Amino acid sequence: MPTEKSDLLQGTLDMLILKIVALGPVHGYGISIRIRQISKEVLQVQQGSLYPALHRLEKRGWLAAEWGASEKGRQAKFYKLSAKGRKQLESEESNWNRLAAAVANIMQTVQ
Amino acid sequence: MSWWKSLFPKRASDAQMNTELRFHIDELTEENIAAGMSPQEARRSAVLEFGGHEQVKEELRDVYRIRLLDATTSNLKSAFRFIRKSPTFSATVILTLALAIGANSAVFSAIDAILLKPLPFPDADQLTLVEQHNVKGAAPLTRVAPIRLDDWNRLNSSFQGLTGYYSEDVSESTGALPEKVTRAWVYTRFFQVWGLAPALGREFTPEEETLNGPAAVLISDRFWRRRFNADPAVIGKNLRLDGRLYPVVGVMPPSFLFPDREADLWAPLPPGVSYGRARENNWFVVTGRLKPGVTVAQARADLVTIQAQLAQQFPDTDNLSITVDALKETTIAGSRRSLWLLFGSVSLLLLIACTNIIALLLSRSAQRQHEISVRFSLGASRGALIAQLLTETFLLALIGSGLGLFLAAAASDIFRSLAAQLPRVEEIHLDARIVLYSLACSLVVTFLCGLVPAIRGTRSSLSGSLAQTSRSQVSGRNPLQWLLVGIQVALAVTLLAGAGLLLRSFQQLGRVSRGFDSSHILSFQLSMNWGETGDMKKLHQFTDRVLETLRATPGIESAAISVGVPGVSFKYQTELKLLEGRAESEPKLVTDNRFVSASYFATLRIPLLAGQLCRETDGPPTVVVNRTFVDSYFHGEPVIGHHVQSVSLGYTGPAEIVGIAGDARETTLEHAPVPTAYWCAPIAQPGTYFLVRTHNAPLTMAETIRRQIRDIEPLRSAYDFAPLEQHFSDGLAENRLRTILLSFFAATALSLACVGLYGTLSYNVNVRRREVGLRLALGALRGQIVKQFLWQGLAVCLLGCAAGFALAAASTRVLADLLYGVSPTDAPTLGAVILLVLLVAAIASLLPSLRASRVDPMQVLRDE
Repeated sequence: MPTEKSDLLQGTLDMLILKIVALGPVHGYGISIRIRQISKEVLQVQQGSLYPALHRLEKRGWLAAEWGASEKGRQAKFYKLSAKGRKQLESEESNWNRLAAAVANIMQTVQ
Repeated sequence: MSWWKSLFPKRASDAQMNTELRFHIDELTEENIAAGMSPQEARRSAVLEFGGHEQVKEELRDVYRIRLLDATTSNLKSAFRFIRKSPTFSATVILTLALAIGANSAVFSAIDAILLKPLPFPDADQLTLVEQHNVKGAAPLTRVAPIRLDDWNRLNSSFQGLTGYYSEDVSESTGALPEKVTRAWVYTRFFQVWGLAPALGREFTPEEETLNGPAAVLISDRFWRRRFNADPAVIGKNLRLDGRLYPVVGVMPPSFLFPDREADLWAPLPPGVSYGRARENNWFVVTGRLKPGVTVAQARADLVTIQAQLAQQFPDTDNLSITVDALKETTIAGSRRSLWLLFGSVSLLLLIACTNIIALLLSRSAQRQHEISVRFSLGASRGALIAQLLTETFLLALIGSGLGLFLAAAASDIFRSLAAQLPRVEEIHLDARIVLYSLACSLVVTFLCGLVPAIRGTRSSLSGSLAQTSRSQVSGRNPLQWLLVGIQVALAVTLLAGAGLLLRSFQQLGRVSRGFDSSHILSFQLSMNWGETGDMKKLHQFTDRVLETLRATPGIESAAISVGVPGVSFKYQTELKLLEGRAESEPKLVTDNRFVSASYFATLRIPLLAGQLCRETDGPPTVVVNRTFVDSYFHGEPVIGHHVQSVSLGYTGPAEIVGIAGDARETTLEHAPVPTAYWCAPIAQPGTYFLVRTHNAPLTMAETIRRQIRDIEPLRSAYDFAPLEQHFSDGLAENRLRTILLSFFAATALSLACVGLYGTLSYNVNVRRREVGLRLALGALRGQIVKQFLWQGLAVCLLGCAAGFALAAASTRVLADLLYGVSPTDAPTLGAVILLVLLVAAIASLLPSLRASRVDPMQVLRDE
């Protein structure tokens, strides 16, 4: 059974990236795989939005990047969370939780 | 666009992007292979899944691109839109700035050309003017004897060279009619000092610079064009001067205007000419070129030491003090004050224009509150909005200064003709420096005018009033706008006070009692040379012949000669010795000396108060003194019958004082009469003016006189015909220039201040329409409304006047030296200025106030 795919809610991609990078240094390909895996194939990130998002976050100083070798020894760019990024992630997470709880409340009540 | 890559080194390089993206595709490919695809298919599918590689890269690049240029272009676009949308507002701002920046640039172009740029000679800062002064007595004889110049050149260690010149007017007679030309005799080292070579031809050869060597002249560019039609084959042609042929050896470049712009030709004066040997014959104007690195003060100290040695050697003639001044300083000294005064006033004008524009922009941004709120809510940052508002102001300022440059170009022609008497005026041009200057002006204006309105206009943040319109506002108090109006009024009052004082002073000068009747006097000169003074008898006959011919001419009442024309600064001050003896304690008899024919007094109608006229006949010389001489030195004691002798005028023997004449303001109109002795010298010399009193308008006689002179003196040219009034007018040219310009600036300032007042009050009336309507509906009288607004405008003006009064009182001291017969705190002038300002302000306030009172209450209530 093919999994039904969902578009990402606007503005949530940045948060997802930050969350995944918070787990440890990872390259762009790794991030796209993790999002797919963890969301059980529901969320699929277009590369066309992933990489600009990464670079934007790096430019804002939320991500730090360095070049290193991948598991297979290829040159890859690894991203990790900066202190500033960690703070940003916390605030986005709490925001998200509030919003999600509110939306869930409404959906349940109206049911 | 590559230039800003270097500005942002943090930007990921193209290669890095490629590596990062290729890594992703490689991983995808491997994943696909692992899923069972063939390598080629795996690759293709990975690339497909990844999407456009280049497209992603472009998006990455976008992340790093700071859209400075894009933002500027879009700001400019919206600024253009803004200008198109509000043409009246924009036109007001642009015209105001065009006027203010244009006037500023025009005056700056004069300051730049006259005061700031070096003189048009190589290393011009090394050029100096060297003068000698008599230690005893007050005689300002600054010329130098050639033989002393030789000594200086031999002994000094600070100059590359010192040279001298002497200029005189002569007749050039190779043409159909003799033509008056100005010849400068130049001494050796002339070219070395000036550092200029002829543009055409060659310099003088050493042979030409020796006594009895071959004759040669260099001609000026002006003379070359006038006389030879700029013919390159002029070299070798002959000019006839003093009956001798001089071959032209070269043409000097057009920038060489020395001794002055009238100079036509230069001839070498060999050292050792007989009349250059005597140490008391001082007739050279001396210029020197300093050695590199030597200061003017060092050079002066050097020459003073040398002169002290010479004074021991020649105690009779060489007890002199020496001054050395930078040539540029002596050239421009007189006009410096006037020019800075003008620059100060145009800068005030620009300030007024700026405050006006600030007020306009403020009321404008109040009207744009809604637009700005919308932009805020659409996510624009405050910085971006300020940048946009500033771009609008900058565009207005840029257009304004562009227009202003055209104005300045037009004005510089007017300026040149008004300021023809200023030094270096021919060097005033609009060049790149002026364009840069007005560009700088528009930048300054942008920040001066634009910043405050932009910051205030964007102060209401996101919470700002999208929903709230000005409907809920009751009254619009704008303390900042009223402050600006007050400042404008204050500055305008300052300028008006300055202009008023200059005008009054000019008027006083016109009214001053001159002591002689200058109407219907025509002055002119005849070409002569000093060589003729060898035969005084012949010269005497020549003078008599000319004067008799003139007196016999119908339409001419009387004729006289005078060295120096009355009204033009002519100083020949010496000390007189009283042969009858005079106590040591009494002040020395320092007098101005004038050399005139006896008919001078009748021709100029200077009354003879006592005694008789001086005698022109041979025999013991006689002299007439003026009343100031008597009052200053004799205190009512008898004067007539005493004998005086000039201390430094060697050739005039003891003369008897035979008469006392009335005081005449002969030096310039500004100067009160000084003690003067009139020596009867019935012999014309080079530089002598012929003065005739005519029945009709003076200039109508010029042609008749020219013909008469040609009949009796065919080899002489008659030139420099001008009514005496013209000389006064020329003498006042600089005075007139600053008066006219300052009055113009002041009038502009006043009208700008009025526009500001009118605009602010109108805006205020608009904002308060509802309030006024409501009050009218509740029974307020229209007269009360008018009175209220009128008072609001006038109160600000009164405060502005008070501030302006204080400012004027503080700054008129600058004017004190430029005023004649008016104190810098002249009450009638300042009172009139304030009255004028209040009157104009009342008119400017009355219109909006009347409009306020005509508000229809019903209309306003319906609008709610």
